Amino acid sequence: MSKRTLPRLLQSPAVILLLLWMLVPLSMTLYFSFIRYVLNSARRPEWTTPALSNWRGFGNYEYVLFQSKDFWFAVQNSLFIVSSILILTVVLGLALAMLVNRSFPGRGIVRVLLISPFFVMPAVNAVLWINMILDPVLGLNGLAVEGINDIIHSLKDFPVLGAFFSMWPDIVPISFRATQTSAYAVIIMVTWQWTPFAVLIFMTSLQSEDESQKEAAILDGANAWSRFRNLTVPHLARPIAIVVMIQSIFHLSLYAEIEIVSRGNGNKNLPYLIGEFTSNNIGAASAAGIFAVIIANIVAIFLLRMVGKSMMD
Amino acid sequence: MATVAQSSRFGKVFWPVLAWAIAIVFFFPIFWLIFTSFKTDADAVKPEFLFFFKPTLDNYLNMTDNYDYWRFAINSVITSTFATTLALVVGVPAAYAMAFNPSRHTKDILMWMLSTKMLPAAAVLYPMTFLTKNFLGIYDTHFLVILVLCLINLPIVIWMLFTYFKEVPKEIIEAGKMDGVSTWGEIKDILIPLAWGGVASTALLTFIFCWNEAYWTVRLTTTEAATLSKLIEGNRAPEGLFFGRLSAVSTAAVGPIIILGWFCQKQLVRGLTFGAVK
Repeated sequence: MSKRTLPRLLQSPAVILLLLWMLVPLSMTLYFSFIRYVLNSARRPEWTTPALSNWRGFGNYEYVLFQSKDFWFAVQNSLFIVSSILILTVVLGLALAMLVNRSFPGRGIVRVLLISPFFVMPAVNAVLWINMILDPVLGLNGLAVEGINDIIHSLKDFPVLGAFFSMWPDIVPISFRATQTSAYAVIIMVTWQWTPFAVLIFMTSLQSEDESQKEAAILDGANAWSRFRNLTVPHLARPIAIVVMIQSIFHLSLYAEIEIVSRGNGNKNLPYLIGEFTSNNIGAASAAGIFAVIIANIVAIFLLRMVGKSMMD
Repeated sequence: MATVAQSSRFGKVFWPVLAWAIAIVFFFPIFWLIFTSFKTDADAVKPEFLFFFKPTLDNYLNMTDNYDYWRFAINSVITSTFATTLALVVGVPAAYAMAFNPSRHTKDILMWMLSTKMLPAAAVLYPMTFLTKNFLGIYDTHFLVILVLCLINLPIVIWMLFTYFKEVPKEIIEAGKMDGVSTWGEIKDILIPLAWGGVASTALLTFIFCWNEAYWTVRLTTTEAATLSKLIEGNRAPEGLFFGRLSAVSTAAVGPIIILGWFCQKQLVRGLTFGAVK
């Protein structure tokens, strides 16, 4: 056996499995995206089995792009949700990592409390937030607003200030079950879940920061802001890029949260739209799937350029 | 940072208090879930029992009657355990070969494996359903869930193991080769004992990812192989009727994993960044 054969043999199960996993379903999606294929059709029963004779060319793509009204909305919404989460988690993650990076009593417990949301399964995360916290009537959202209204009402009875408070209107709790607000709900719950991840990574990275450099900067009279700006920020550039990349991978295919929070209210991202098509129009679902693959690839190429190379060091 | 921070007396009190306050805010939803799980369904939606109520264990005692909890929990345990094992069985030899006998293509193969993670699952939803239902007949079986969970985690497993194995001095492996130890012996008797911590944390993290997976486990199962994700997803909108019992079953579903997660915080960083941040 040559020197090269054994290593290849050892890698081959993993490579073959992943190759099959990637290629077989994807080529089927590609095929289905070019034919007329629906699950139920009383009018055209021949369309319910996949066959080359139902060839449609780019018809499914045209349908998805121009006729189905939801595609652009879904793409836009996907990007809106992903970028909001990215900005929020990076900003919050940086702030919290700096906060927890100093030593103080109970730091270990603070870390454990902070990291916990990351391990909550997505389905529980969504059910917990939308029902028990954000619900406008029964959730803490509704109860808190009711409490504030009660306080204002009781203040109205005061002699002089009462006149001032009686001008205040009752606050109405936001319902997170409408199209747009449920996107906010998704952003809130995913940010809650993924900020700990950003904190963990930034903290790990802050601990490897060169202390002697900082002390030299202090001796040179650099103030806290310029130390942060000129030493810490460049040091954090790579972990920030990594946090952005990993989260983009996960959040572009966000599904469980949307499914649980938004079912039936019109809020959707691309994976959810594909899921909707899949209940009948497989051709359209496949074309939308190919678009999802293309978008993921654009993002991936962009991000891998940014960080991929340095990850190998 | 602590060595150089010129903390004022105000800062010495303020920053730790702020850190504590934020940590409590972040943990609060989990606390609230656990807290609500001890209320009856009726009490859970009454403002007057918001903080003070008569705690009950009924929600936990009735989990089987209410939700058939254990059937789903056992499915989660079975599929996550076997998927993790399978991923390690396939991943360890591959990572071993990549770490100690790298070829010109090793970097490319690793990058390609990473890229399979970027394939949006939704794009291949129907083909997967079609293949497993109509063609292979393995829809809604433990075997399918195990296989899929293994495949989606395999890139992370190989990346993680690769970074751990690279830290093992090459000379030790070479020395084993000189002494005529077989490849299997090298992996089993030299590499695994040396990189034991790395292998264990890879396994732990993979198990957590499998447990929390919520796309394929929901879409490729109906009853037989349905996991806890499917159970919770199926009871998504209790309309305020069942907050108590739903909290209990949710707590039971996430509790063990949160505790497991506390033990592998450090490894989580390496696993999720594919070894890029250590």
